[in-house]
Amino acid sequence: MRMRFPRTSLRKKEENPVNSAIKVSRLCKSVTTQEGELSILNGIELDVKPGQSVAITGPSGSGKSTLLGLLAALDTPTDGEIWLDGAALSGLDEEQKAALRKDKLSFIFQSFMLVDTLTALENVMLPAELAGVKDARQKAEAMLERVGLSHRLGHLPKQLSGGEQQRVAIARAFISEPKVLFADEPTGNLDPVNGTKVADMLFEMNRESDTTLVLVTHDLTLASRCSRQLIMEDGHLSESDVGVEESASRIEQPLKEAQA
Amino acid sequence: MSWTLALRLFRRELQQGQLLLIILAIMLAVLSVSGLAGVSERLQVAINGQAAKFIAADRIINSPEPIATEILEQAQELGLSQVSSMRFNSMLFGDEGFQLVTVRAVGQGYPLKGEIELSSGPTAKLPGEGELWYENRLARLLGVQDNPQDASIELGMANFALAEEIRRLPDAGFNPFASSPVVLMRLEDVGKTQIIQPGSRVTYLYQFAGDSGALDEFEEYVKPLLSTSQRWVDVQSGDSPIAGAVQRAERFLLLASLLGIALACAAIGIAAQRYCQRHYDVVAMLKTFGASGKQIRNLFALHLMLVTLTGIALGLVGGRLLDIGISSMLPEEIASYDTSWWRPGLLGVTTGIISAFMFSAYPLLRLLAIPPLRVLQRQLEGISMGAWLHLLMSLAAMALLGYLYSGSVPLTMTVVVAVCALAVLLGALGFVMVRVGHSVGMKTTNPLQLALAGLRRRARQNAVQLVGFSSALLLLLVIMALRQDLLDEWQKQLPENSPNYFLVNIAPEDEAPMAQFFANNGILTTDIYPVVRGRMSAINGEQLITYSQQEEGVEGRVGIGRELNLTWRDTLPPNNDLLEGEFNTKPGEVSIETKVMERLGLKLGDELTFTIDNRDFSVKVTSVRAVHWETLQPNFFMIMRQEDLGQFAHTSMVSFHLDDSRRELVVDLIKSFPTVSVIDVGAMVNQLREIVEQVSLSLTLVLILVLAASALVLFAQTEAGMATRQRELAVLRTFGGSGWLLRSATGLEFALLGMIAGFLAVVVAELTLYLLKTQVFELNVYMHWDWWLMAPLAGGLIVATLGLWRCRNLLRQSCSQLLQS
Repeated sequence: MRMRFPRTSLRKKEENPVNSAIKVSRLCKSVTTQEGELSILNGIELDVKPGQSVAITGPSGSGKSTLLGLLAALDTPTDGEIWLDGAALSGLDEEQKAALRKDKLSFIFQSFMLVDTLTALENVMLPAELAGVKDARQKAEAMLERVGLSHRLGHLPKQLSGGEQQRVAIARAFISEPKVLFADEPTGNLDPVNGTKVADMLFEMNRESDTTLVLVTHDLTLASRCSRQLIMEDGHLSESDVGVEESASRIEQPLKEAQA
Repeated sequence: MSWTLALRLFRRELQQGQLLLIILAIMLAVLSVSGLAGVSERLQVAINGQAAKFIAADRIINSPEPIATEILEQAQELGLSQVSSMRFNSMLFGDEGFQLVTVRAVGQGYPLKGEIELSSGPTAKLPGEGELWYENRLARLLGVQDNPQDASIELGMANFALAEEIRRLPDAGFNPFASSPVVLMRLEDVGKTQIIQPGSRVTYLYQFAGDSGALDEFEEYVKPLLSTSQRWVDVQSGDSPIAGAVQRAERFLLLASLLGIALACAAIGIAAQRYCQRHYDVVAMLKTFGASGKQIRNLFALHLMLVTLTGIALGLVGGRLLDIGISSMLPEEIASYDTSWWRPGLLGVTTGIISAFMFSAYPLLRLLAIPPLRVLQRQLEGISMGAWLHLLMSLAAMALLGYLYSGSVPLTMTVVVAVCALAVLLGALGFVMVRVGHSVGMKTTNPLQLALAGLRRRARQNAVQLVGFSSALLLLLVIMALRQDLLDEWQKQLPENSPNYFLVNIAPEDEAPMAQFFANNGILTTDIYPVVRGRMSAINGEQLITYSQQEEGVEGRVGIGRELNLTWRDTLPPNNDLLEGEFNTKPGEVSIETKVMERLGLKLGDELTFTIDNRDFSVKVTSVRAVHWETLQPNFFMIMRQEDLGQFAHTSMVSFHLDDSRRELVVDLIKSFPTVSVIDVGAMVNQLREIVEQVSLSLTLVLILVLAASALVLFAQTEAGMATRQRELAVLRTFGGSGWLLRSATGLEFALLGMIAGFLAVVVAELTLYLLKTQVFELNVYMHWDWWLMAPLAGGLIVATLGLWRCRNLLRQSCSQLLQS
């Protein structure tokens, strides 16, 4: 459905990662603290194919969020290379990274990150407006309808429940038709019932839009609904044994949809 | 994109009251500047009318008789334009009553500088034949204000019509303190009134204008030709006994606006900081979704511009209302003068723009530098450039605004020094709170220790609260004290039965009949003082130069630069204190006022040479006096002996007290002695007091706004700390802290904060008052010991009440509620 070409600045370095949505090679990140150099990520290798959904789990402080920040072009690695949709991130300045995020990426956060003075509709319109889309309003209305909030267009975030706020955030995430969607603990601030509802919606829309999903979570049930599970431990990323869990999630999902 | 988004964000935030704080702060700055500037504009015009009358020309020769035609021809030859006029007092009769007026009869070409303003607007015309142009109050005094044009008026032996209402004459036309109204007529019409008879007291005014070279040449030529009774006037030096008091009123008003600016700046600074902090997440989110740096810059620049414009617009409306409100309370003579509103308006707009942008620049830079990664790592705040730069820029903005507004370096510097002092004290206090409080933890059941621990934990946040609150208190204290001191000062000037009328220009032949007049009417007067006008020309034989000569590069000792009123007397005048030497024991001696002595660098034994009527004579300084100028007695810089001064022509002056109920005696006096000039000091001082009262009242209004604003800041700031406070309360509750303990600890924490603010305010207020009184107002300095107790107590009470009220819900909640939410 989208045949967008990378912007001029992104055209260089089109090498083998062409077939990957995300390709990571020898990725390292360390920070300087009072005690000296602290290594957070150690030689991460990763290859995510278009349309895949990847869950990254792991204990607190293992480096999940750091990895997410790097993959999403929000942070700069100490070493190594990342290709997003075939384009290398190294060498891009902040403005070029922002342009790349605008064109290809989208986000869902644990704390929703809605602008609390704008209405639900206006929050959803934001990314489309940033990208200069003409019919942002109509698109946003359609997106809110898809997440079941067409009756809440004029409400402010504080007038919505947590679940509803995250649904607004989902609508906002998909309005720009991203290639890759990054989700940071999307159900972390929600109770189990609302969490499941939001997760259902997220996976459903992800499937419909054929978006690549990278999800960071503590929640193993949520993680099991992704096609791949990765475990982050002490700065190393490893593939977990997916067989059972994946088939479990494949069975679970239609059931939950039927219940909803 | 930026426009629509900026507009939308602005509209939404406005609706939700998020912009209230910053708009209010900007509004306050604009309001106080434009409103008070409007009032001070009126006052300045009024005061100028009294203290330094515009002279409607570059130079004037002022003479009791017509001057030689050669002089006028010389002026013509030098290419100076000139116009003659006459000024005299006369009784003017209407159908209903009569009124003493000052008549200005002017020739064609008047005025050489400035223009006549009529009620219908400025005009270049002059009264026609048989016409009088009048002041509004004359019509009222004559009872013909309804249709003055129809009234038949007699002046001397001629009939006149009241043709046009004068708003303002460029010289002496507008003078709220003058006791008699002015009428303007043609010079050619004076003859038919037959008022001017031999011996009539008339002032002939010859006004000249032209380039400075020709004027200087003319001055050189004409000065030696003038007699003592003729005066060469450049910009009239206000010899008025109340010039000092007037100046103080003017400065008080300036100061008030300056303090208003300083305060509004503080408010804007805090509000801008809050404004930017609130948008940290928005910026991080926008950047994450790919907004370019330019988009975000535009968005917030536009947003801030909308906010600023709204604040300015509201401020201008408020300022205009303030101006109207205060003016309605001012004496009508001042209020009726319609000043143009563009200067105060422009000042207000400039203030709004400069303060909004200078004070939000730093927080805005930080805001724009927020990294997108903040969406994942919530504590990220981006770069922290030196806060000292921000402080420096804020100070520079304030100094610039202050100077722009007041044009006075001492006033501006005082305000800047006060702000610096407050900043240093706050910085020191923050340091102490962080360092000293280190040992105090939360492991206590004593509410005081708990409160101290709370203060320490919130040290940084508290520092900001303290800025707002203590500066508001500081201003309140300064304004209250100055107002009281000024009112007291004027009260002192007019104690019961002190002189409220001055009579000057008493001719020697009038002295005896006038003394009889006073005796007949039972009026007590001060001693009568002879007045001889003379110029001090040399000190110890060294010729003196003027300031302007010095500026032109002439070397030499600088003298006084104008003629002085000299008097003779054998005994020390009452209200003078002898500081050094012995008072005029023999001829050839002079007693000097101490400030002039200082200014001229004189000492006992110096020889002063005076030039009077082109004759020189020398006297020796043998005593120094302190003079209480505010006593409204005739006072003199130089007092000599009759043996030295008596040889010159002199007039006399005297002052006396007259109850208001006997005011009509003044009219009798003027009728009996038409050549004498009367100065109604009582009316002037009363008007000044009224003005200061009104100004203080309006200031009180502004200060109430200010206090409201700082309460708002306090609220906004406690809001930010509410979450941590709630966690602390929950923990304390869980571990068994009683409701009483928590309430008293919270209350005490706020009370301590308020007390610190009060204490800081007193310290800085005393410093500020010291500077103001010594550098600007020339008032006595003293400590306000009662404040040192009252201000901290009041501060503590106010802040504790506000804080407890703010936290009332948290304090009422149970442990589980606290933990859950």
